[in-house]
Amino acid sequence: MTGEQPVTTLQSVLLAERPRLLRFLVARGAADEAEDLLQELWQRVAIAPRQPIGDPLSYLFRAAENLMRDARRSRASRERRQFEWHEVAIGPDEVPVGERALVARERLREVRETLSALGPRVEVVFRRCRLEGVSQVAAARDLGVSLSSVEKDLQKAYRALAQLKAKYDAE
Amino acid sequence: MTEEAKDLMDTARLWTVRASDSTFNQWDDLTEWLEADPAHLAAYEAALDEEVWVNDLLQHPEASAVLGEQHVEHEAPRVTRTRRWWAGGGALAASIAAVAVLTLQPFGSQMIEVQTGPGEQRSVALADGSRVILNGETRLSYDAEGSRRVTLAYGEALFEIRHDDSDPFVVTAGDTRLIDAGTVFNVLRSGNALEVGVAEGAVIYEAAKDRVHLNPGDVLTRSGTNGQVRLSRADPDSVGSWNVGVLHFQNATLAEVAEYLSRAVGKPVRAGAGVGGLRYTGTLAIDGPPDQVMARAEPLLGVAIRDDGKNWEMKLPDGASR
Repeated sequence: MTGEQPVTTLQSVLLAERPRLLRFLVARGAADEAEDLLQELWQRVAIAPRQPIGDPLSYLFRAAENLMRDARRSRASRERRQFEWHEVAIGPDEVPVGERALVARERLREVRETLSALGPRVEVVFRRCRLEGVSQVAAARDLGVSLSSVEKDLQKAYRALAQLKAKYDAE
Repeated sequence: MTEEAKDLMDTARLWTVRASDSTFNQWDDLTEWLEADPAHLAAYEAALDEEVWVNDLLQHPEASAVLGEQHVEHEAPRVTRTRRWWAGGGALAASIAAVAVLTLQPFGSQMIEVQTGPGEQRSVALADGSRVILNGETRLSYDAEGSRRVTLAYGEALFEIRHDDSDPFVVTAGDTRLIDAGTVFNVLRSGNALEVGVAEGAVIYEAAKDRVHLNPGDVLTRSGTNGQVRLSRADPDSVGSWNVGVLHFQNATLAEVAEYLSRAVGKPVRAGAGVGGLRYTGTLAIDGPPDQVMARAEPLLGVAIRDDGKNWEMKLPDGASR
């Protein structure tokens, strides 16, 4: 069968492609933590159940990318969580939560306006890929366009939404 | 911003858009682009931050309703969406004016009811300085005045309690009382099944004739009203960790992992044939759109997770031999 010793396969791919993965982690800003992160990846691969993977190297790159994203993300949530605790300590009522919810709703409306100003296809692509969780390849197929045009549509959407974010950040 | 800086951000956005998709495989090209100039990494991370900002907005319970309202041809997801919107509306009202659903109790005290929809999380600050964070699909109620009594109807909540020896904080879940002793603890209720985990301090579990003292890292599980109480150990830091967008698992079956993921993404996740009994120890990040949560989880859990419209299903990858 195809998956005789798949976990070992994944680990041996990791060993064989170690320089490439390390190079990627360094380029991604891991600096001296790159080795540690690769070690973490090694352990995760070791505990994963047996599995044949179509493209093991891409899997490993994806997992490395996710480690970098998760690290950045959890730093941000820790800071945010501490910030929220201060708010609770200062005024333990629910108004700030409610205000935040109102602000979020207002922002969503502006997101919708921003997207619809970019034309129906950008709007549909954004909704399919980012709200409904359809992969970009599948969205391209469904809409009968190339993957690259789907990517450019999303790029357009994020460019416009970045301006919206910049506007809020300045407020 | 100079034209050059704008162009760089645009290029960076194209890379993040591509790399965020589960089918992306041009990793060496990305590496080369990042290496070409130190400014590229900074731009890439800035573009990722933009994505995270947008994704956070999309996590809002009304996101689908506001952004998806002209879009009607997809039957299955709409059910979820309507429900999310409705649940979100209720909880939103709760947080704005702290009125939510005010129920008159026999003795005239008012109960505030707070509810979250699937995939939604909400934090409630109580009058005594304690805080309750509701995970998705959770309903609880508390007394409007003396809010040291909380009733968990169903779902999961993390309690961060300001302890008072003379006035213990009590969580009621069906026939069970959980009494704090200076505490951060997590309660998951599904029907009459219960799981209580303690992060800090201690909790006293009381049901019928059982009385159990729980310390940090203790996890109590009970399968039903008359189910046997079982104690196990967890890393205290992992208790209620769904609150920071991360789930920790220790030798959990994928059937259990699926249940936690369902709660996080707001759509049922099922363990398919031959998968439910596999075990996983490790961490899963649960922030971002569901497809990204699943794409990240796949290589870690070693399964393929497919969206069949109504559910996400974990499957052994094609051609797996066991």
